[in-house]
Amino acid sequence: MLNVTMIELTAYALQVLLIILAIAIVVHRNNGTIIILITSFSLVTASLYIINKAPDVAIAEVAIGSAIIPLIYVISISRQREFIVLDKAMDDFIISDNQFTGVGYILLKRFTDLYHLELNITNDARLCSLGAGRDQLLCEQTNVDLIITKDEETNTYILKGKKSSVLLQKLDSMAKDYDNIEVVQFKDRDFGD
Amino acid sequence: MDPILTFVVILIGFYGLSTSTNIIKSVFCVTIIESGVILLFLNLGNLDGGTIPIVGEGVTMIADPLPQALMITTIVIGSTVTALALMLCIKVFHHYGTVEWAEILRREEGK
Amino acid sequence: MTKHFIIIILLGVLLAVFTVAMQDIEVLYNTALKSYLIEGVIPRGFVETGSRNLVTAILLDYRLFDSLFEAGILLIAVSGIIWISKHDIEEKNAQFMYDKYKTPDLFVTFSRLVYPLMLTFGFYVIVNGHLSPGGGFQGGAIVASAILILYYIDHDKETNIGLIVTVEKFLYIAILLFASLSIFTRGTYFTNVFPPTASPDVQAIYLVILNIMIGFKVALGLWAIFTAFLKEGR
Repeated sequence: MLNVTMIELTAYALQVLLIILAIAIVVHRNNGTIIILITSFSLVTASLYIINKAPDVAIAEVAIGSAIIPLIYVISISRQREFIVLDKAMDDFIISDNQFTGVGYILLKRFTDLYHLELNITNDARLCSLGAGRDQLLCEQTNVDLIITKDEETNTYILKGKKSSVLLQKLDSMAKDYDNIEVVQFKDRDFGD
Repeated sequence: MDPILTFVVILIGFYGLSTSTNIIKSVFCVTIIESGVILLFLNLGNLDGGTIPIVGEGVTMIADPLPQALMITTIVIGSTVTALALMLCIKVFHHYGTVEWAEILRREEGK
Repeated sequence: MTKHFIIIILLGVLLAVFTVAMQDIEVLYNTALKSYLIEGVIPRGFVETGSRNLVTAILLDYRLFDSLFEAGILLIAVSGIIWISKHDIEEKNAQFMYDKYKTPDLFVTFSRLVYPLMLTFGFYVIVNGHLSPGGGFQGGAIVASAILILYYIDHDKETNIGLIVTVEKFLYIAILLFASLSIFTRGTYFTNVFPPTASPDVQAIYLVILNIMIGFKVALGLWAIFTAFLKEGR
């Protein structure tokens, strides 16, 4: 008799804990903390499945909720904070004197710090070898947010990005102070083509 | 009393879904609702005096195995649907530059 | 603020309706269903299907039609994820300037120790699905988590997602064909190949084969999903 009441007491305690965790997930603002909370949420639900006499379901919940679900949340949340720049110009715009002290780098760093993003600059050879006519396609098909090219005649740097992105408009207003930087926004096409 | 506490979890998920401003937050809330629904089904199938649904000698009463069979597939399918939603979310971020619902809707209307 | 208040009131009304509705269901479940389980399910389940675990009996025999199409939904979701993350332009080997992602050595060492154990446990859960808690869906998820550890050990690993999804499609067709074999032996679709009069040990052959096929299909599907995400995360 004592055994049964102990299990029932544990079930009530776990359900109250579940409600507290659910409220914490809904109220909390930091997405990184929520991942830890949702992992513990799935562990508590798995123990409740066992108390409800369903070991099969508990095995499935533990196997999926402990490894695969947190992984995909972590990846999609870290993607949310990233600003990918493709540097086609390859001169002292980004790197001068072997350090990140170029004019463009300072501008981009200031911009990403303002909006709590992480700057990620790439100069992959295969992407850079594509012609200038395919820049719009490149922006739409890959996750590159900004492309840097250089106009040799007028000696201005051209930053290209999608017009639909909110970040590009903010960058445009920020780059007005610089004379040799021009921001070009590609026209919208339907999303998902 | 047991199913009612479980239903409260589902309602918290609904509250989060209707007040969340962020796409990822909405996906989290869908996960909460899903866990609550699974728990509700298992609660109803857990009859008085039942053991786990594995029959052998001396077993007289078991928990209802049908909801459990349905819920196993729900967990596997639910995880893949979450993955699909998050993949769409990544694409939306790289297209609009934000994952706030209000911002995206404003841009869509302003077109 | 008033909006939040209205939502809370509406949800409170839902809770009250649910509380009233719950009282009838409790009574119904503890009378009618109980006698049905005692008379209809417990004596017949093991004899008819050869599975001691009645959840597996429902998944692989009584309601095989349902579980086949749920496996189909998994395939469709995987295809959707692959299609969304597909790029026309190759960006696989993009070299980022900052490589801030490095797995700790301690974690790698323990992963190497744990990986074979997890894989063995996954196969155990799949093969013993008709005797103990487990089965194709759960075991497939455990095998997929074991494969995920491989990516932590060596995260330059290249995987061909197209090949994984192709194998999964063919495996799904094979499961459908194997499940409909029973039309030749028993005259109905989607049930045990062996007649109900056969001994439980013979009937278990069918359950083990189907569990293994479903387990590999689920493992391949989850593998494809997290490979697509890891590629996206590079």
